[in-house]
Amino acid sequence: MSEAAGTAFRVADQLRTESPWEVFAERARRFELHLNGRALEMARGPITVEGFGLRLFRSQGDKTGVGFQASTDLSEAGIREAVTQAGTIAAFSHFPTRGVDLPGAGTAALVSVDIRDPILWDRPMEALLEYARGLFAAFDGKHDVTPSFGSIRATLTECSIANSAGLHTAFAHTTVEVEVAVKAFGGPEGPPPGEYWVNESSRRLEPGLLPARVEEWCRYARDVRRAQPTPSGDLSVILPAGTLSGILPFVLGFRFTGRARLREVAPKSGDPVGTASLTVHDDGLVPWAVGSAPVDDEGAPQRRRTLISQGVASDLLYDSLHAGAFGTTTTGNALRNDTLIRDWRRFVHAPLAAATTIVVKPGSGGSDEELIETAGEGVWVQQLGWAIPDVLTTAFGGELRIGYRIRNGKLAEPIRGGTVGGIVLGPPGSRSMLHDLAAIGSKGTVSEAVCTPSLLVRPLTVAGA
Amino acid sequence: MVDLRDAESDFARALARLHRRTTFAEVLAERSEGRTLRYETRSVDLSSNPMISGAVIRAWGGERWVEAATSAFDAGSIGEAVEFMERVLGPEAFTHEPPGPSATTRKEWSSGPARPMRDMGPEQLTALARDVLGWATELPEIHQGQVVLAWEEEDRFYMNSAGARCFRRLHRVRASAAAIAFENGRVEFDVLSEGGLGGQERLEFLTQDRVRDTARNAVGLLRAKPPPTGEMAVLLDPSTAGTFAHESFGHGTEADQFLRDRSYLKPILGQEVGPEFLTIVDDGAYPGGWGTIFCDDEGNEAGRTVLVDRGRFVGALHDRDTAAAFHVRPTGNTRRADFQSRTFVRMTNTFVEPQDWTYDELVEEAGNGVVLERATSGIEDPLGGQMQIKVKKGHRIEHGRVTDLVTSMALSGKVLDFLRAIRGIGVKDDFEIETGYCGKGQTDLLPSGTGGGYLLSRAVVGPA
Repeated sequence: MSEAAGTAFRVADQLRTESPWEVFAERARRFELHLNGRALEMARGPITVEGFGLRLFRSQGDKTGVGFQASTDLSEAGIREAVTQAGTIAAFSHFPTRGVDLPGAGTAALVSVDIRDPILWDRPMEALLEYARGLFAAFDGKHDVTPSFGSIRATLTECSIANSAGLHTAFAHTTVEVEVAVKAFGGPEGPPPGEYWVNESSRRLEPGLLPARVEEWCRYARDVRRAQPTPSGDLSVILPAGTLSGILPFVLGFRFTGRARLREVAPKSGDPVGTASLTVHDDGLVPWAVGSAPVDDEGAPQRRRTLISQGVASDLLYDSLHAGAFGTTTTGNALRNDTLIRDWRRFVHAPLAAATTIVVKPGSGGSDEELIETAGEGVWVQQLGWAIPDVLTTAFGGELRIGYRIRNGKLAEPIRGGTVGGIVLGPPGSRSMLHDLAAIGSKGTVSEAVCTPSLLVRPLTVAGA
Repeated sequence: MVDLRDAESDFARALARLHRRTTFAEVLAERSEGRTLRYETRSVDLSSNPMISGAVIRAWGGERWVEAATSAFDAGSIGEAVEFMERVLGPEAFTHEPPGPSATTRKEWSSGPARPMRDMGPEQLTALARDVLGWATELPEIHQGQVVLAWEEEDRFYMNSAGARCFRRLHRVRASAAAIAFENGRVEFDVLSEGGLGGQERLEFLTQDRVRDTARNAVGLLRAKPPPTGEMAVLLDPSTAGTFAHESFGHGTEADQFLRDRSYLKPILGQEVGPEFLTIVDDGAYPGGWGTIFCDDEGNEAGRTVLVDRGRFVGALHDRDTAAAFHVRPTGNTRRADFQSRTFVRMTNTFVEPQDWTYDELVEEAGNGVVLERATSGIEDPLGGQMQIKVKKGHRIEHGRVTDLVTSMALSGKVLDFLRAIRGIGVKDDFEIETGYCGKGQTDLLPSGTGGGYLLSRAVVGPA
């Protein structure tokens, strides 16, 4: 790791404050390729940012004032200004805890987790260009399908954390965002063009997977062109990992945290929240997952926690502040990024209690083909437009961008349009996705912030086109 | 506070130096300052904008644009960026002109309000938020509430080698009050929010009556029925009509998607797409609009671009590259999310112009259907021309009358079918520009305003 990895330590050395404090710093290098069809439109990078987020904690009797300020000014004067701002903010903010128990020096030994792509780290632009060439090559010979709009963006980050409890820790990680609009077109009197929109985040570039992935993307884009209207009704619906990544992390990543408990919407331990076959973990150490890291953004070790065990609510996730409010300890779930928009500059955000990777334990439903057979008649939801649930009500829903009818236990014609949705978490006896799980597949797949098998929900409301 | 114009001579020297190696160079500097107060039942969180400022330098490399960015304004840091550019600019950079016209605008803008938000200290912000939260949580079913008061002053300073020099200061304010209701394990909420350019006057909508109404609506939602599903008459409230104008229609008019052959609207430019009373506009200079920018990030003045004129699709949004390709003028819609992000063609304030139907007339015309209220999200489908808009709540329309409150819904269908099915648009009294953040794809978020009056059409409604 380079000398710059110790940014937080350099800032910490210059802090002059009596209050408990924490510094989270990053030196991030960003590289981007922007695509226009099968041509490179623009290459950008390195775009380098080095900055820190400083938190001060001031006692206010039975509450704690919390002041956060982010800055890229690493000069003595810049750090002094950030301390002054954080102090002012701490005077007007309060959190319902008597004090904050920050992770200490004893937590500095880091567990090993794969979150840094070594090729990308050493040769970032070359690696991106090689990936782009691989992407274009995978479209060779396909005269009816092309990438139309897209970007490949990589961020290489050296992260360091120090605090007044004596913690000094640093680690490096990479993130990759791939966005490709795949367009199917052509035919003299054919249907209008169709598009399948790929939007994925991960920790590494995997050019070797591109030929197979592109085949899959092209199939979906072509199927958009021949898709039939979506049926209506309360139907058996299968949601694969890619679709669930737009639903489960939002709902469970909020409702099973100290943040939700503070707002009286977290389940209590022992509450029935799903079918007896459902077990869900939060796991901060899944290899190559975007939510994985040796420590969270306060420096506490990330680990595995059980959120739902056999359908019953179990643990909640905490950062240091929320742990203090409820007389417990941090679970290593202080994260400076939101599930919806992942900012490559995490230091500009104060940490929140949140999920890392939501892991649904594989069940006895078998392969996707077996789940489809179990469904008999219904709908396979390949992609929803924007499922993003309301985290308070847990209502979710979105337009079916591409899916398939299930007829006689087999995938049938593609369908598109209309909406699919429901409630993720509901009281026992009411309809909800987790209570209405008819089957859980037997093999998990990592997709963004989830690792889950496909789930068969029966019924889910489908409003056809 | 840093004044970006203090670095003008350094920027001018950088441009002059680059102009010896390229036919065109430009610099855009950016800084912002602001505060956000999140006042909740059990915690108060005051935060300030990150202290980050910087500049991006862009030059024409002969075949494509070349960029470098710096987060410091001293001569040394700017010099380093220029040296990088000099290394990557080839000999062709001096022999080929960039596409499209180079801006020559020399002007300064400020949305300077009479009572700037920065004059409102943390004590005043906190006192107001405490009062509003009190109104939001008076009912016994309301256990929790949240009040957000936020302001930002954003400066951008643009110069180029063709002589343009533009400075703008935008004062953005947004505020919201949410009430969260609980009953028998069910949770619902409603939220009141507004925003735009301005000062403290922007907070005056947070009246006791309106906040109490919001709380009553939250309680009402606890007992509300699910929405009807299927294809039906839909009456979009101003926020939903605005989201339609932006997400469903507007993204397809960004001409970079034309260049990529990724817009369902490209083949129908010039054709009739809706009734004669339908006009859709993007306006980057709309007074007080949340998405108002006055000047874009290529130095072109922002202004009114008519996209649909009396039912005919007549215009698209252009940067200099797309303007050159389609032989038109740039429309002042080139925007960067920040100095670390690239330019794209983007919307500013996009809206459906109000017409002459009253709300009651539109409800009667609908007959049976649903009113969609308080848009929460939308997503574009520029190639496929499908729409998806989600709303927090609504009401059923039965036999020409508004009846039961219903919970959240999603609207879907084909945009062109929806446009053709428009039967009425509401009066100016109901028109408003709402606050929002828009991405290009999943990234590059920036403020964009959306608006409209009530709009009656037909679409598929489903759960959300």
